[in-house]
Amino acid sequence: MPGFEAAFGGRHMPALATTYEGGDPALLERLVELVDLLEIAPDTIVGSERGQYILRPEVLDEYAGVSSRVGLIAHGIGLSIGSFDQWNHDYLRLLDELFARFDLLWHSEHLACTVVAGESLGTMLSMPRTQEALDLVSRRVELLQKLYPVPFLLEHVIQILPDAPAEFTPAGFLNAIASRTGCGLVLDVYNLECDSHNQGLNIHAFLDELNLAAVVEMHLAGGVQYEGFQLDIHSSITHESTVTLACEIVRRAPNLRAVTFEYLKEAVGLLGHDAICGELQRLRQTVLPQAVLQ
Amino acid sequence: MTQLELQQRGVLNLLKSRGTPPRDPWLRLVEGSRELAMLRKIAIWWRTFQIEAQCRQTSRLLKRLGSFEALVTDYFNRNATSPFIEELSRSFLRSLEQHYDPVVRAVSQLEYAALNAQAGLPVACEILWDRHPDLVCRAIESGAELPPAEPDCFYRLRISGSQPFTLTCTRESTLEVS
Repeated sequence: MPGFEAAFGGRHMPALATTYEGGDPALLERLVELVDLLEIAPDTIVGSERGQYILRPEVLDEYAGVSSRVGLIAHGIGLSIGSFDQWNHDYLRLLDELFARFDLLWHSEHLACTVVAGESLGTMLSMPRTQEALDLVSRRVELLQKLYPVPFLLEHVIQILPDAPAEFTPAGFLNAIASRTGCGLVLDVYNLECDSHNQGLNIHAFLDELNLAAVVEMHLAGGVQYEGFQLDIHSSITHESTVTLACEIVRRAPNLRAVTFEYLKEAVGLLGHDAICGELQRLRQTVLPQAVLQ
Repeated sequence: MTQLELQQRGVLNLLKSRGTPPRDPWLRLVEGSRELAMLRKIAIWWRTFQIEAQCRQTSRLLKRLGSFEALVTDYFNRNATSPFIEELSRSFLRSLEQHYDPVVRAVSQLEYAALNAQAGLPVACEILWDRHPDLVCRAIESGAELPPAEPDCFYRLRISGSQPFTLTCTRESTLEVS
């Protein structure tokens, strides 16, 4: 097993993390031999009991079974931190349940809106980069920081719709949230490539402007091109271009603590255990060592 | 209404193909865009994907009838869908209660009861079938042709009690109901 202690003992190599959503013990056993951290997405392990949403106990037991061998982090999908009216309280109850059961190292969420006036959008809507949105998100980040005893990170999402009128640049908006609240950032390298393809984002200008000291976690994933769009489906191993970009960012992000390879549970059948494990080995060998080359 | 509320409510309406045409310049730009069409496809694709995983029998049956995607899209547009897959699935199944096809009605009710059972919710119900329920389920599972309707009789499937549930099925003549 890779050394978890070593991964967090200062500015050395970041930890290697990956997604696991339960129900595949053979995969889990292989993953814990390869990674330092497991990412738990509470939204993906939801069941219900007498009409109440709960985290499925059998999946929590799986995490508990390996928690002495790997660290655990939480990554939300459905908090909807950017909804104009209110965020998703059901998600917070799930998070409470997770924190009650495990010592999580940090938790994170997407900088997005998924619920509007109580109605699910069915997808993630990126936030307009305005002072109004900044104020709203910052207030909620600060509340999360009071509610939970570990660092909170925000991840930028891909933008599909045309750019709304903005008062900040993409990097400037993330910088403003991070500096106002002290929260960390999750930098999703594939999302940058999607935004470059779909919106013409200049990735190098973005990285030059972004406060890379705020980046605590990096996400890597693969996706597809469909009808002219590049989509973050998390259905494949990391593209070579994404790995190359990731290596550059690892060299430049002094506080990076983890590199997380994300894949959809539903893609496991398509990818196969060997490909997922091979990808983790590749990332450990190629991306992580870049940290000590800075 | 703040600008953020205006934009988010506007996108919700556009995404669900409802409401009046927007007056906000950005929403008007979004309205006819290929980006909105893609966002809608993504939202519906996820719902389709989730419902397919949770409601296996019903989605297989609807696919066989060629109406699965259209029904999911219609359901998505007309309803405040839950972000949680179990609730989404149960709600979708409930939306089929009045479906014109008696087999769709029966299969979706059976699957709804099964999801309720998994969630520890009440499952007691009575489902009427116009053909043999077991043969219907086997045919959906195997991909074989559905058994024909039996015009002179119907099947009354009752699910009652708490775990373990009791299932009883009786074959009754249509002449006995009026």
